Amino acid sequence: MTSLRAETSVADLPTVTFGQRSLMWWGTLGFMVIEGWTLALLLVSYLYLRQSVIQWPPAPSQSPALLMPSITLALMALSVVPAVVVARAGGRLDAPAVKRWLVAHSLIGVAILILRWWDVQSLGVRWDANAYGTAVWMIVGFHTSLLLLDVLDTLGLTLCFFVRRQPVKSFSDAADNSVYWYFTVGIWLPVYLIAYVGPRVI
Amino acid sequence: MSALGNSTIDGGALAPEAVAQNAGALERTWSTKPGVWAWVCTVDHKVIGRRYVITAFAMFLAGGIEAALMRAQLARPENGFLGADRYNQIFTTHGTTMMFLFAVPMMTAMGLYFVPLMIGARSVAFPRLNAFGYWTYLVGIGLLYVALLTNHAPDTGWFAYVPLSETLYAPGHRVDVWAQLVTFTEIAALCAAVNIIVTVFKMRAPGMSVNRIPLFVWAQLVVAFMIVFAMPAVAAGSTLMLAADRAIHMQWFIPARGGDVLLWQHIFWFFGHPEVYIIFLPALGMVTPIVETFCRRPVVGYGAIVMANIATAFFAFGLWVHHMFATPLPELGDSLFTAASLVIAIPSAVQIFCWIATMWTGRPRLTVPMLFVLGFLFTFINGGITGVMLASVPFDRQAHDTFFVVAHLHYVLLGGGVMPLFAGLYFWFPKFTGRLLRNGLGKWHFWLFLIGVNVTFFPMHILGLDGMPRRIYTYLASTGWGPLNLLSSLGAATIAISVIIFLVNVVLSWRGGAVAGPNPWGASGLEWATASPPPPYNFAYPLIVSSAHPLWDAHAALPVATGLRTDRREVLTTTTFDARPDARHSSPRESIWPFYLALCMGVVFIGSIFRPYWVLIGTALSLAGLFGWGWQSTRPIERERIALPNGALVERT
Ligand code: HEM
Ligand SMILES: [Cu+2]
Repeated sequence: MTSLRAETSVADLPTVTFGQRSLMWWGTLGFMVIEGWTLALLLVSYLYLRQSVIQWPPAPSQSPALLMPSITLALMALSVVPAVVVARAGGRLDAPAVKRWLVAHSLIGVAILILRWWDVQSLGVRWDANAYGTAVWMIVGFHTSLLLLDVLDTLGLTLCFFVRRQPVKSFSDAADNSVYWYFTVGIWLPVYLIAYVGPRVI
Repeated sequence: MSALGNSTIDGGALAPEAVAQNAGALERTWSTKPGVWAWVCTVDHKVIGRRYVITAFAMFLAGGIEAALMRAQLARPENGFLGADRYNQIFTTHGTTMMFLFAVPMMTAMGLYFVPLMIGARSVAFPRLNAFGYWTYLVGIGLLYVALLTNHAPDTGWFAYVPLSETLYAPGHRVDVWAQLVTFTEIAALCAAVNIIVTVFKMRAPGMSVNRIPLFVWAQLVVAFMIVFAMPAVAAGSTLMLAADRAIHMQWFIPARGGDVLLWQHIFWFFGHPEVYIIFLPALGMVTPIVETFCRRPVVGYGAIVMANIATAFFAFGLWVHHMFATPLPELGDSLFTAASLVIAIPSAVQIFCWIATMWTGRPRLTVPMLFVLGFLFTFINGGITGVMLASVPFDRQAHDTFFVVAHLHYVLLGGGVMPLFAGLYFWFPKFTGRLLRNGLGKWHFWLFLIGVNVTFFPMHILGLDGMPRRIYTYLASTGWGPLNLLSSLGAATIAISVIIFLVNVVLSWRGGAVAGPNPWGASGLEWATASPPPPYNFAYPLIVSSAHPLWDAHAALPVATGLRTDRREVLTTTTFDARPDARHSSPRESIWPFYLALCMGVVFIGSIFRPYWVLIGTALSLAGLFGWGWQSTRPIERERIALPNGALVERT
């Protein structure tokens, strides 16, 4: 083997980083793209099915009710606040603030998850009634599975922070958790517009 | 040197004793302990990559046995060897195995093994995700092959067209097996893709800026992006749509309730066409370093090849409709997609011209890998020509669903995928085993394979033009198709013999082949800068790169970076574009959770075939696994150097 020559030392580089300097952030981003794209394909399929009928939703189905989904939407918008605060506090390694706001985030997350029950009732159609019902159920259902995962993730993280002292890397994880939350909330917006508001306009 | 910023030191040559001591410590930190438990828990990308390659190759053999059975059935007219039902199961399992369980996993497995070595990294970005992907893939294999052996294999073709695959026409669980198997392989592919993207973006050797990335790595990167956009389509189609239609009476594809059968074809081919390139681009990526090494010169047109890869990926998504010319679609669409199908030939041609120019201006040596490259050029160009023919709508309407298409797709897949793969296996075998494959047996393998492929598939063009439909289990003697079919079956037997020779070669050489040493071919990539096979930590020190051919351009000593810890698993991350050293990250230890989680996913997807409530049980078990996985990544607390988002660098426990 050829001999080696030391040209630089990396000993002074950090071992904990935030955002796009950390591997976990990239991994989270990758899964966001995959999940977002899957949802986009479902939405496109919904619009594709819409093309072949005159009336949408097809009779006897009716357009979904808007009240409860709109309340959920408002609560989702609100939930971004604790997520942002957690991310900022994480970036300062401020453990008490992270804990406090993770609890707030978890509580709102659980509330949104519960409200989702009424969102689904608002659809007013069974999944096996017709292709329209199938499409909206699958879209809302898929988003709900992401939501569930994210809420559980937040709960797990909160638990970890309370149960035992965390390595500093967990602050970076908490910040990434917020990024994933923005995504989960963000992709609900097209779902809300297409699945709930959509039937009234398209 | 200044490319690395201000941390440049000149430590001079490293003393051999220091290097040896460093290697000893790394060995203790990075090696997987012996034993069954550790075997299941390992996260070493090389162990998993090798396992992946061997498993995928076993699937090539399984698919090959199915092919042999089909060719035996078709060898004579009115043959009673298999019968219609078995034949349907076998051609479906053959197509499914070859596409989902051999070709794509094989290509990603080669990436998972070699990408870190080629970019000078110690591991992949997410070692446990990597293990999880492999186990998921294995569970999927188990599902399909248990079904085949118990006479429950899918029988509606590897594309499972609705409505044939809906409950009405396909009662029982055969199609469910197909639908869920597909999802297993997609999850595995997505895990690999995310891993490869992040590994290439963040873990390249210092100095390996984007214009110095090896072309195989470029191909893997582009393909990983293709996987991210193609695989969700088929996973959505097969599980969220088809399996859901069948299990809980959803109505995606049932016209009586407003569903649409063409939606399936759009979703499937939106994945299915890019999939061909997902197989083909990594294969082309293997060709370049082989041509470079055996012509002893850098490839002509590095930039052109990178652009060709990106352009191929881009166009590949725009032409799924050419699989649907025989369906009632608007005419304008037809001509648009014909044009797109013709355009995509251009980037492939660019790559081919680059290699020809390299050979022309270099001094080619006809080693076995080079022979396979030449065989690839010959066979693939044939398949490309019939592809251009099929892109023309009037011709496609004639040839659709005949053996002409079978001929075309096998010329492309065997010529464009399998031959480069064999070239790559001969070339990189030392990096798996430390030994070289035998030359003489390799030549036998090559010639018999080349002859076999052409004798098997060339006659199918003629049979197809003569009207022999595909997916039929037999035909009447009065058609006159008997002799050419017999010839084709003899060709298949030749392929089988050649593959057996390859297997013999692998077994003999693995045990007693010539010891290769680090760089037996005098190649230029970083994977050749470490021992064959590489140690668990890949490289004793991160190598510093200042050209696209580091081993050819390095002079006296290889420049390296020091300062990574040896007492715990640490990897170096670099900046995305110019690859300046950026941070040290810890890399996980062995873990049981990936294996556990893959089994739970098995409960979710396989259980859903029989009773929907298994989805809930499996999900609950999976969530427990996710929690365990997360819990485990909280290490004992020690002093860390932290780069805060505001740029400050602090130290804390
Ligand atoms: C090793 C030699 C091979 C032989 C002798 C062979 C033979 C065959 C035959 C006879 C069929 C036609 C079945 C029919 O239409 O009745 C077929 C279909 C097919 N083969 Fe192969 N094959 C081989 C390798 C491969 C490889 C390497 C791949 C992919 C990587 C592949 C992918 C397919 C696919 C996708 C189909 C279509 C299956 C369907 O229609 O559902 N084959 N093969
Ligand atoms: Cu295609």
